[in-house]
Amino acid sequence: MTLSVVMKNKKEKFADPPNFTEKKEYRPADVTEKGLVFVGHEISEDRTVMNQFLHYDQLYTIRHGWNSRFFIGLLEGKIMGTRCPKCGDSWVPVRTHCWNLDCNLQKTEWVEMPLTAQVHTWTIAGWSGRSSLKRLPIILVYANIGTSKVAMANELHGMNPWDVEFGMPLKIVFKPKEQRVGAVTDFHFEPVDFWKPTPMNPEKQRIKDLVMPVYEWVKTLK
Amino acid sequence: MSRKVCIIGGATTPFDYGPTGFESIEGGAAECIKETQQDVPEFSLRDLDLMIYSHFSVHFSHQLAPEWIIHDHLGLVGLPHYRVENGGNTGGSALYAAALAIMSGHHDVVGIVGWETMDSVSQSQGSEFIAMASDIRYELMVGGIYPIYYAAMANKWMKENHVTEEDVATIAVKNKNNAMDNPKAQWYRNDHRYITVDDVMNSRLISYPIKKYDCCLMSRGVAFLLVCTEEYAKKVNPDHYVTVDGMGLSSCTIRAGDRLNNPGWTERYGPGYPGMTEFAACRNSAEKAYKMAGIKDPLKDIDFGEIHDAFSTSEAQIYKALGFADEKTIAKFIRDERTTMHGDIPMNPGGGLLGYGHPVGATGLMSMIECYYQLAGMIPQKHLSKKTEVPDPECGVVNSHAGTGTSISNFILRRH
Repeated sequence: MTLSVVMKNKKEKFADPPNFTEKKEYRPADVTEKGLVFVGHEISEDRTVMNQFLHYDQLYTIRHGWNSRFFIGLLEGKIMGTRCPKCGDSWVPVRTHCWNLDCNLQKTEWVEMPLTAQVHTWTIAGWSGRSSLKRLPIILVYANIGTSKVAMANELHGMNPWDVEFGMPLKIVFKPKEQRVGAVTDFHFEPVDFWKPTPMNPEKQRIKDLVMPVYEWVKTLK
Repeated sequence: MSRKVCIIGGATTPFDYGPTGFESIEGGAAECIKETQQDVPEFSLRDLDLMIYSHFSVHFSHQLAPEWIIHDHLGLVGLPHYRVENGGNTGGSALYAAALAIMSGHHDVVGIVGWETMDSVSQSQGSEFIAMASDIRYELMVGGIYPIYYAAMANKWMKENHVTEEDVATIAVKNKNNAMDNPKAQWYRNDHRYITVDDVMNSRLISYPIKKYDCCLMSRGVAFLLVCTEEYAKKVNPDHYVTVDGMGLSSCTIRAGDRLNNPGWTERYGPGYPGMTEFAACRNSAEKAYKMAGIKDPLKDIDFGEIHDAFSTSEAQIYKALGFADEKTIAKFIRDERTTMHGDIPMNPGGGLLGYGHPVGATGLMSMIECYYQLAGMIPQKHLSKKTEVPDPECGVVNSHAGTGTSISNFILRRH
C-alpha cells in the first residue's frame, strides 16, 4: 500500500480564513495593555516580610467560531438558538452538536427564538464580582427562552427585586443598537406588559429588608 | 483485585487571608510535610515515588506551573510529578489520581500538595477570578459569581424541600462554631467568635437566600496528604492508618441552567432530575463510593463526614444527595441536629469551608486530613479540645465539590 501525501503550496491555506470586514473598537480610555509591570512594594517594619505589586493587563481574542451566530444575533437584536434535526431538542445557550448520546454528536441547525421567556429560578444579588458591584442589587434569573430545553442566566430589570416570582413570564429587551457589543449584556429580561406583582407578604418583606441596605451601600461606592 | 489505598498522614498550614501572607507557598508545603513527619517519624521524603499537585487557578498564583517551584524546593528532582486541576473538586480529584496510581500497582507512596493564594487580589476580584470557571461567554458578565449561581439553585431547592433560611443558618452556626476548636481554622484566627442563628440572619445580603455568614471564606493555605499501599502503611504507621474503601467521581453541566431535561441524567434517574436544584454528580459519585465500600445504609454505616460546605445551603443539599434524607425528611433531619457534634452523624467537625476556610486546591485535602485525624484518634492533639472529636468513629465520608456541582467526588474512609 502506498501512502500518498498531498503537498500544499507554502502560502496556500487548508481552510479559507474569514474576511473580517466589520471591525469596531470601544475600548474605555482607562484600559491599557502593559503586560507584566511591577508597580510597587511594601516591607514590614522589622524588614522580614515583603509584598510586591504586579500589574498584568492582557488583551484576549475570544474566537466564537461555530458559536458566532448567537453573538452576531445579539448585535442584530435577535436571540439565535440551535436545534437538533434528529431529536428536536433546542437550546439557548447554544450547542453546535446535540447533547443526546443517541444522536451521536449530530450537528445542530440555527433557529431564531421568540423574544419571550419564563423564570425557572431566581436570586437577588447584594454582592458580586468587581465589574458588577455598581449595578447591585441585581435580580438574576435563569429563564427558558422560547422552546429552549435549558435555562439561561440574565438580569431581570424593570421591577422591585422582592416582587420576582417563579414561573413569571418575561420579555427580552435589547439595548439600543449603538450600545450593543455582541455579548449577553446586550439584553436583559423584563416582566411582560400584562404582569402584575402579587401583594406584599412576609417573604417579600424579608427580601426588602435585606435589599434596602444594598441600595445605600452602592451609593457609597466610588 | 486491586491494591488497597491507605492514608497515613497529612497536615495543613493555618488557613488565613492576607494582607501579608505568612509563608511562601513552597515554604508552607515544606512545613506541612515536616508536621506529617512529626506524626509519622518513619516517613522519609526518599520513600515517595510520585508527587501530585492540587491547585486550582494560576490567576491567583500569577505563575504558570507553580507546582514546579514547590517540587523543586522540596528537593524531589527526578521524582515524577504532575498537577491536577478540577475546580473546587481539585483536592478530591488529586486523591482520586493518587488512588488510581496506587491501585494500578505502578506507584506505592504518593504525596499530594494542595494550595491556593486567594489573597493575591481583592475579594471582589477573587470572586470574579473564580467565576471564570463558569461559562464566561454566557454567565460571568451578567453579574454572575458563584454565590449568586448557588443562591439561584438553593432558593428553588429550599422552597421545594420546605427548608427555611433559619434551617440553613444552623449549618453555618455549627461549622463556624466547630472551627472555634481548631487553631488552624480561618474563622478561629480572624473572626474568632461563637455565632448564633440571629447573627447569620442579620449578616449582609450576598444573594438571596444566602447571607455573608452562609458563605465560606476566601483563603490562603497549603495542605499535604500522604497516600500509600497497605504494605507501606503497615511498615511506617501501623497504628494510625485509614483505608480508602470507596471512591466515586462524577460530573454535571458547567451551566446550572443546562440541567433541566438533560438526557444523560434522564436515562439514569428519570425525567425532571436533577433540575437546577439537586447535585446529581454528588448522588452519582456517592452511589459509586457506597457500592465500592459496601455501604448499604449511609446513615447507619457512616459515622461522620467532612463535606463541601461552600455555602450553608449546599451542605443541606449535599445531605440529600448523600442519601441522608429525602424531600419529605430533609427539613426535620436538619432541625433534629443530627449533624451537630451531639448528633448521630456529625458533619464538618473540623469547621468545613465555612469555618476552616477554602483555599481551593488545598480544600479537599483539608477535608481528607480532618477525616483522617478523626479516624486515627488524633483530634485531641490537633484540635484545642475533645469537643470536636467524634466518639470512636469507624467510617467517614469526604466530599469535594466543584463548579455549580459540575464535578463532585466522594470517598469512604475507614479506620484500621
